Amino acid sequence: MTITTRRTFLAGTAAALSVPLVLPATAQTAQELESWPDAFLRIDTDGSVTCILPTCEMGQGTHTGQAQILAEELGADWRSIRIEMPVQPAPPYRLPFGQMRSVGSYGIRYFHDPMRRAAAQMRTMLKQAAANQLGVPKPELTVRDGLVIHEASGREIAFGDLVQAAALLPVPAEPHLLPEAERTLTGQSIPRLDTPAKVRGEAIYAIDVTLPDMAYGAARMAPVFSADVEAMDTASVTDMPGVLAVTQVPRGAVVVAESWWQARAAAEALDITFTATEHDTLDTPGMEATIAEGLSRADVPMTLERGEPMGRLDAATQIIEADYAVPMLAHACMEPINCTAQASEGRTELWAGTQGHDWKRMMLERELGIPADELFINTTYLGGGFGRKTWHHDAVQAVLASRAVGGRPVKVIWTREQDMTFGMYRQTMQARFRASLSESGRIEAMTVRVAGPQMGAAIVQANNMDPFSLLGLVDTPYAIPNYAVDHAVVDIPVPLSAWRAIATSFTGYWMESFIDELAEAAGMDPLAFRLANLPSDARARAVLERVAGMSDWNGAAPEGIHRGISVVEAYGSSVAQVAEIRMDGDRVSVPRVFAAIDCGRAINPGQVETQIQGSVIDALGPTLRAKISLENGAAVQANFPDYPLLRIDEAPDVAVEIVETGAPLGGVGEPGVPPLAGAVCNAVFAATGRRIRSLPLSDHDLA
Amino acid sequence: MTDFILNGDPVTVDADPNTPLLWVIREELGLTGTKFGCGIGACGACTVHLDGQPVPSCAVPLNAVEGGAVTTIEGLSPDGTHPVQTAWIEMDVPQCGYCQSGQIMTTAAMIRDVPEPTDADIDTYLAGSLCRCGVYPRIRAAAKRAAELSRG
Repeated sequence: MTITTRRTFLAGTAAALSVPLVLPATAQTAQELESWPDAFLRIDTDGSVTCILPTCEMGQGTHTGQAQILAEELGADWRSIRIEMPVQPAPPYRLPFGQMRSVGSYGIRYFHDPMRRAAAQMRTMLKQAAANQLGVPKPELTVRDGLVIHEASGREIAFGDLVQAAALLPVPAEPHLLPEAERTLTGQSIPRLDTPAKVRGEAIYAIDVTLPDMAYGAARMAPVFSADVEAMDTASVTDMPGVLAVTQVPRGAVVVAESWWQARAAAEALDITFTATEHDTLDTPGMEATIAEGLSRADVPMTLERGEPMGRLDAATQIIEADYAVPMLAHACMEPINCTAQASEGRTELWAGTQGHDWKRMMLERELGIPADELFINTTYLGGGFGRKTWHHDAVQAVLASRAVGGRPVKVIWTREQDMTFGMYRQTMQARFRASLSESGRIEAMTVRVAGPQMGAAIVQANNMDPFSLLGLVDTPYAIPNYAVDHAVVDIPVPLSAWRAIATSFTGYWMESFIDELAEAAGMDPLAFRLANLPSDARARAVLERVAGMSDWNGAAPEGIHRGISVVEAYGSSVAQVAEIRMDGDRVSVPRVFAAIDCGRAINPGQVETQIQGSVIDALGPTLRAKISLENGAAVQANFPDYPLLRIDEAPDVAVEIVETGAPLGGVGEPGVPPLAGAVCNAVFAATGRRIRSLPLSDHDLA
Repeated sequence: MTDFILNGDPVTVDADPNTPLLWVIREELGLTGTKFGCGIGACGACTVHLDGQPVPSCAVPLNAVEGGAVTTIEGLSPDGTHPVQTAWIEMDVPQCGYCQSGQIMTTAAMIRDVPEPTDADIDTYLAGSLCRCGVYPRIRAAAKRAAELSRG
């Protein structure tokens, strides 16, 4: 199955059945709902069931999981399912903060209930139409495999033959949902819908989009993030083979040519100079020193304070104190940043692998004056996202490039080096942890001072509460009676972006490493210390206990193996991990990781397993070696050789178990990332006695 | 003009002979299953077979394939049922899937050369193929399964 790239609007005709959807009032107004004809499902008269999905498919398996939810509740034939995405953002597809975005591990957990409801509404209408047609009471009918069936008389009607009549029926406000016992498609490891196309080379990613008369764009961009074009001589390349146009874009230029290789050659040859900026000498040591000053700054507003943390620490006989840090990281999606645009009067069309539909809409309106109703986004598969593909710079370039060649479609593709050096990095952050323990090994008091940029400045809440900086700390599951968290905001002149698991990608590492330091100070086993400091009803207990069992934590470690444990709650799920490491001289290798996740009911257990395995392997790259550093105001690392992510020869075996505790649905795409670095570094301590308080391990000559 | 065999058929391409094979395959010849990842032969996403050997097509200039035979993911089997593809579907390997053409082309070459690959063989052959989603555990299992299917 492939994603169709253009949505056919059938609303207002009787040829298709679709159901208006009701979401919580935060997401949209009643008037908006009224004007939006359908959401999530369409049945055509040929019986095909189209799932119209709100989140993109970037590898996380969300399309298959969402289709499972919809098809099950509808009673569809799984083999008839098709997938589309809307070409314009609309209220039903938006997340609680009012944007259509594929972020925050929301795909399943947020849309599960509204999707079930929409499918149940449609099933109810189909049943009613069949009851009317067959002249039997609705309760005598059953729905399965795309048929409404009257068992008693052996008669059945296919969905496609009911659509026209059903579309005329009222939409039930309170549709009857399937009882749990009849939910047989969710909870199963159904194979992904996109696998066959992806193993045959047929899946269309943004970079694969091919349009009639399409031209290609290559960019030339200032290495310093805040620089712009000072002077440009377009005549320097206009005579090069294939070149059609050169257009200035924010921070640089795009050369349009008949092929991308021609465009790239011309972009490299382009005579262009960039403005000098006050950040031209920025480098990582200087930036980190500036952030470190924030660790001891006074007059920082307290974000969270309970009990008397300062007083208790002042009175404590022993204070455990440690400073932690993480570097910037790139997303390095396998598919480099690219976008295709066709700009014509009154209509701008994008072909994009995007996580940020509304963001693109808003930014194209702001930067290029394109009204929202004139923008159409055809969403393709994404060759990875990880938070990077919420942005708009590539779309702005593609639209300007298309305008420069009279509205021909233009596909702009960045080189890997441009992808990696442009910016939009995971933020570099530091923290100072201080704590005291009771004689019985309980955390008595703890303070956490975070220093660094406030990446979520646009969503910051009262008292400096920035979820993109502080989640994982302010919501720690540990019972800490006297606890304070604050954030000394130190801006850095680098464009930043959400990176898989956002704040918890570093707060998970810090907290779980520091908890291990406290366990050591208390003279307690790391697992026992965690259990002693978690409330009796903490969700984290079950996954910790499960991972301890999986790894035989309480038994002796295998010969030559050293172990570390950690647990992090993020995105509504709880994940515990045990890392087994080996030391070859000073070099750390990680042959095996155990992971237990509680994400509520697993909609597709096989996909949960592979997401957690992938998260562990993803997180291990920056734990061992990957980082972005700056020299002369620009990124040093530019391609995979100097930004080493994990290869198969270093990938651990990752054993995953799902723990179902009856908790609400949680996210899956991100929560596997945060525990990994802590588990590995705690194992390094077990092996060497060294506390690793900054990443990556290669900075400590351990990888 | 450069002449070579693409997926069994002769093709003639009129492009700068220094153009990397990758861009010729994708743009001139319209087969987009072969992916651009790094441009320097460091990630394996663009792997094709040149005269039977896996090569990074982003780092092979067009003039180097004159008279040669190139196979891409589209030509690996007539109907997408090469043992590697069958095993990949059986194990539901891909997540984002962007690197998978390269992983599959490299694995196909491996199981032809090494009918019963060990973990060490898999490491040797596939370490050049980066997967950002980290589906290596499934790749490893599927590579062994593909070898098994291939042996019959």
